[in-house]
Amino acid sequence: MAPSAIRKIVIVGGGSAGWMAAAALAAVVRRRVEEIVLVESAQIGTIGVGEATLPTLRAFNATLGLDEMEFVRKTQATFKLGIEFVGWNPERAFFHGFSDFGPDLRGVSLHQLWLRMRAAEDERSYADCSISTVAAGLGRFGPPIANRESVLGSYSYAFQFDAASYAAYLRGFAEQRGVKRVEGRIVDVRLRAQDGFVESVVLEGGGSVSGDLFIDCSGFVGLLIERALQAGFEDWSQWLPCDRAFAVPCARIEEPTPCTRSTAHEAGWQWRIPLQHRTGNGYVFCSSYISEDEAAATLLANLDGEALGPPRLLKFTAGRRRECWKKNCVALGLASGFLEPLESTSIHLVESGIGRLIELFPDRGFEPKLAEEYNRLMARSYESIRDFIILHYHASRRDGALWRHCRNMPIPEGLHYQIELFKARGTVALYDSGSFAAPSWISIYFGLGVFPRRHDPMADLIQEAALRRELDRRTHIVAGAAQSLPTHGAFIDKHCRASH
Amino acid sequence: MGQRSRHRLRTLVIVGGDTAGWMAAAALARVLDGSCRITLIESEVIGTVGVGEATIPSLAAFHALLGLDEREFLRATRGTFKLGVQFRDWHTVGETFLHPFGPYGVNSNHELFQAYWLKRRQEGCPTPLEEWSVTALAASLGRFGLPMGVLTERLARKSPAGAGSPPPQDPSSPLRQLAYAYHLDATLYARFLRTYAEGRGVHRIESEIVDVRLAPGGLIDAVVLRDGRPIDADFFIDCSGLRSLLLAEALKTAYIDWSQWLPCDRAVAVQCESVGDPGPVTQSTARECGWQWRIPLQHRVGNGYVYSSAHLSDDEAGASLLERLEGAPLSEPRFLRFKAGRRASAWVGNCVALGLAAGFLEPLESTSIHLVQTGLARLFTLFPDRDFDPAISAEYNRLTALEYERARDFIILHYAASQRQDTAFWRHCRAMGVPETLDYKKQLFSKTGRIAMLEQETFLPASWLALYAGLHVWPERYEPLVDMLGGGDLEARFEGMRGSIRKSVETLPGHAAFLAGMAMPSAQ
Repeated sequence: MAPSAIRKIVIVGGGSAGWMAAAALAAVVRRRVEEIVLVESAQIGTIGVGEATLPTLRAFNATLGLDEMEFVRKTQATFKLGIEFVGWNPERAFFHGFSDFGPDLRGVSLHQLWLRMRAAEDERSYADCSISTVAAGLGRFGPPIANRESVLGSYSYAFQFDAASYAAYLRGFAEQRGVKRVEGRIVDVRLRAQDGFVESVVLEGGGSVSGDLFIDCSGFVGLLIERALQAGFEDWSQWLPCDRAFAVPCARIEEPTPCTRSTAHEAGWQWRIPLQHRTGNGYVFCSSYISEDEAAATLLANLDGEALGPPRLLKFTAGRRRECWKKNCVALGLASGFLEPLESTSIHLVESGIGRLIELFPDRGFEPKLAEEYNRLMARSYESIRDFIILHYHASRRDGALWRHCRNMPIPEGLHYQIELFKARGTVALYDSGSFAAPSWISIYFGLGVFPRRHDPMADLIQEAALRRELDRRTHIVAGAAQSLPTHGAFIDKHCRASH
Repeated sequence: MGQRSRHRLRTLVIVGGDTAGWMAAAALARVLDGSCRITLIESEVIGTVGVGEATIPSLAAFHALLGLDEREFLRATRGTFKLGVQFRDWHTVGETFLHPFGPYGVNSNHELFQAYWLKRRQEGCPTPLEEWSVTALAASLGRFGLPMGVLTERLARKSPAGAGSPPPQDPSSPLRQLAYAYHLDATLYARFLRTYAEGRGVHRIESEIVDVRLAPGGLIDAVVLRDGRPIDADFFIDCSGLRSLLLAEALKTAYIDWSQWLPCDRAVAVQCESVGDPGPVTQSTARECGWQWRIPLQHRVGNGYVYSSAHLSDDEAGASLLERLEGAPLSEPRFLRFKAGRRASAWVGNCVALGLAAGFLEPLESTSIHLVQTGLARLFTLFPDRDFDPAISAEYNRLTALEYERARDFIILHYAASQRQDTAFWRHCRAMGVPETLDYKKQLFSKTGRIAMLEQETFLPASWLALYAGLHVWPERYEPLVDMLGGGDLEARFEGMRGSIRKSVETLPGHAAFLAGMAMPSAQ
């Protein structure tokens, strides 16, 4: 072990981000450091409500060696094949699923073949080629098989879980592996005189916790990264004006859907995240277009079960920390930035933050190049997700003051470029470190009714009759495969029903 | 044929018939499948640049697209196999290292391998990097065999796998990681592809082009032949080489000059007799004012000296090259002039440039044919119709620019990290500075042991590691990841890997023997 190795890691804050960091570091880094401490205060609530995720969480859980079915039981989780968008396109609902639309044909992607048939006035839906969309529509779920050639091996899935239970579950995992939990409210952060590094956090009542590496999971406030180290915040509200959310759980629906739902409203949108025991709901809105009272009333009027408490208000500003890693402090979760949960990216950003920290793990010299590379990669992830979310608002044809604003607002240059390219030819320009692949972008463009002026001329090289037969064959296979899966509820009952 | 869209390209003209031109003709003929009339105009007067040419492994994908048979290709081009590039005298005179194709380790994560290898080195137990790659070890032992996947495929088709020992059947064999490319005679390759393309309907016109006619909107209307005949087309592909007849001369597209980082601007090339069996590597030997290539073909050896005219005269370069040939020269030395850089836009209006017309990078890492190939792949993905929507060409140009810059940075590193101080040329290289993107990568590696990948990289972390290690650029630390995942298990696993690599490579036949069974014309 190097003489200047990190000896002690202090994690500040115990929400999902904090316990995810604790669990991952306990699993991977523990051997190398003497001590990992997590400081949290039971007084401070965690943001976590019903939380939806992306398929990358499976890899994270696998790194920890979690048993998936146990994890599902312990967190009241359900399975997620994608997101259903209602009201975003006034003409019809659409789905963003965790699968593509099937393999290329003679080097031409399926969405181009579909566009070509659409130009020939064939009225089939591209969505019928997407196994995740069709299965979710039928309320069916089963894990994909190992054969990627098969349509039943060509999709992925994520989870919807209770964030507080997930944090508690990971806490058990981390504590078993030697992470020490310190209960206390942090009242001060001490910096080293010579270099401004974080030296220790001071607890209410006078105790303090010192360490070599600090991980700030304190949420929006950024107790270390912002209050103490002033890393700076890049405000993105000119593109993402929503600044509030009300969240409320309601009684469960009979058979939880294997997908998250996002319903557009006058001044924002509402999430619906079905868990095993109840359903998480929330209204993300822009306070310039609706009062808090009206927003709360809208939310309560649009639940599909009885509310299980009063709605809780959250305030935020879209944006990211200019430096997620500064000196000896790395911020994760809301302390590193905020993007509304429209595409369930919060947990994903925590995962990638932890993964990169492990890859770029420092020693006590804190070589500045490590932070520079970390910040470069995180900035790219944040920006690519930001642009993807902006697209949902900007390309929506919904009526209303917020929606008109979003349609007409200037958008980031990179996104503008991507949209123009798609409008020209249906081509998806991808940038480095983008979190969403081409099928995701296509789902949103097509779903919102953004179609290109022309399709790929290569699609014209395939005979129309042959193409029609091929698409018929594929939709038939997809429909049959989806039907062969158990219902979501039956799958949970058989494998991973929570005990109560 | 499918629907005849009223926007589709009806006619396409390729200007220039070198490797780039005939690669384009062959691929377009294959993919467009008769839907578009393809004409290639070339002039024997101009002659081809093509000499002995080295490639990188991606070429196999191009051949798969065309449906080419590897034996036929090797026979037709007098080709040999290539496992990497051997660099001599680059760090300092007398030092040699290898940049092999393919990964290090066996089914190992590169970062983990690299951290392990660097750690052992720091602990005072260095092992040669070559022992960790089947490709590199085969290269240093002069052995060759087709990777397992290819062999099993061939066996399945019941065609003989060639000479040499029977292929190992173990599915976990390290030989599956063997990666290879080819050395080929570029003129023969162009001829081979010409036969292919003409067989699929490509129309060839032999003539010089004396004029390019533009339509009012700035699109190219027609090229005019020596006999005054105009040849019009919907779309033009400029494969006219460094001159860039369409993109530069007719459309006045600017050139972005990189010679502040790549000072070599001349090359002199000559073929010589082989004096031994062809080895499975390209050799690049750093010289007083540049470097010399050695590309072994079946029947002879291609040689060339790439140099800086500010530091060496043509006469001196020619003499210096002839002095260092292993066999008798088979031709008069030919001189080439160039300037490192790229066209500001590779695609303008209804004209896209491929090959040297799009940009020039010296052949130090054998990227020329690869860049033609990726240009074609991009063109197929972004294939135009007659609207020539600027959004489409903008995306083509964005990706092309990134790809050229990434390859450029990799090539610059060879010069920038050399420790040679023995001539004014090398002192110039040490003092010249590097592009910001390369500086970032190099510093990140030196300080942290991390290899940053940017968009559109041609060379993966294994290649960067080979180069850094070969030029003795060592990081101040190894990545702690290896300690976290580490322990005795990891060491046992890696050391076991090294043993299995050697064992499997020793089962391979010699390159020359393999080649003899595989590719030599049977009649001779």
